[in-house]
Amino acid sequence: MHPLLVVAVILALVALATALGFVWRSQQGRVRIGDERIVAIDGVPLGERATLLQFSTEVCSPCRATARVLGALADRTESVEHVDLDVTHRPELAARYRVLQTPTTLILDSYGAVRARIGGAVRRDLVIAELARVLEQKVPAA
Amino acid sequence: MSTASTASGATSASRVGIDPRGPRVVAGITAVVLLVVITLALLGLPTPAAILLGAQAVVFLIAAVLGVQRHPYGYLYKAFVRPRLKPPVELEDPAPPTFAQGVGLFVVGLGLVLHVLGVPYALVIAAAAAFVAAFLNSVFAYCLGCQIYLLLARVGIIRRKPAAAA
Repeated sequence: MHPLLVVAVILALVALATALGFVWRSQQGRVRIGDERIVAIDGVPLGERATLLQFSTEVCSPCRATARVLGALADRTESVEHVDLDVTHRPELAARYRVLQTPTTLILDSYGAVRARIGGAVRRDLVIAELARVLEQKVPAA
Repeated sequence: MSTASTASGATSASRVGIDPRGPRVVAGITAVVLLVVITLALLGLPTPAAILLGAQAVVFLIAAVLGVQRHPYGYLYKAFVRPRLKPPVELEDPAPPTFAQGVGLFVVGLGLVLHVLGVPYALVIAAAAAFVAAFLNSVFAYCLGCQIYLLLARVGIIRRKPAAAA
């Protein structure tokens, strides 16, 4: 192959990877409207008014940061629970709730219905806004 | 002021956190090596390309087996990059980047085997796939394990513990 063509192939590969990176990043933490199906998992207590249900595995670097954000949010919001489920041991849950990446977070209302779904590392401001919508009240930001 | 935090919330007691910037520098070096492999292969030098990719496979193997803390390129990070940086704000679990090294080994190893069997472009395609993953990991902090590990668990390849009574 002509050296100039090789340079073009290499540049195209780098450009492709960069484009993929931007697409991936734009999808991380995006909030999608939930399908309202009722979540009931044995051994998992739900919050009285809302639940931040996080699916994790142990091979997941952003899971810990997400757990910290959601845990802190649940701690200072009354009747809201954060549940962090490791689906390595329960892959049937990942299948049942169509989890394709970790972390995936479902925001459940008081009935346990899925009101929002967040793929990837969460963004604190977006979770606060979504939780406020589910609770129909303002969520303390700090 | 940034202070180094100790490994907080480690899932297992024996696990010590690592500087999260290490694996990203390692992935950057890996990405450059893979680009050199692709360049050599496209210039019509398949043997040097295969030897370099084989060397990269050995590096993946060492890191996948001994853990990313002992990654050969990691020593370059510790010697030349780390002293110029502030201490890490937060430490990270070594399991996700170690898993990614195993995935790299699988992809590159498959490419080498197919290349030896005479499959055209096997070397270039495997190196390109591994390059995209390494590049995303290095530049965008993409987490390979977040999708692939889950997928393997879902199809039942990974079963760390026998399933507890349902």
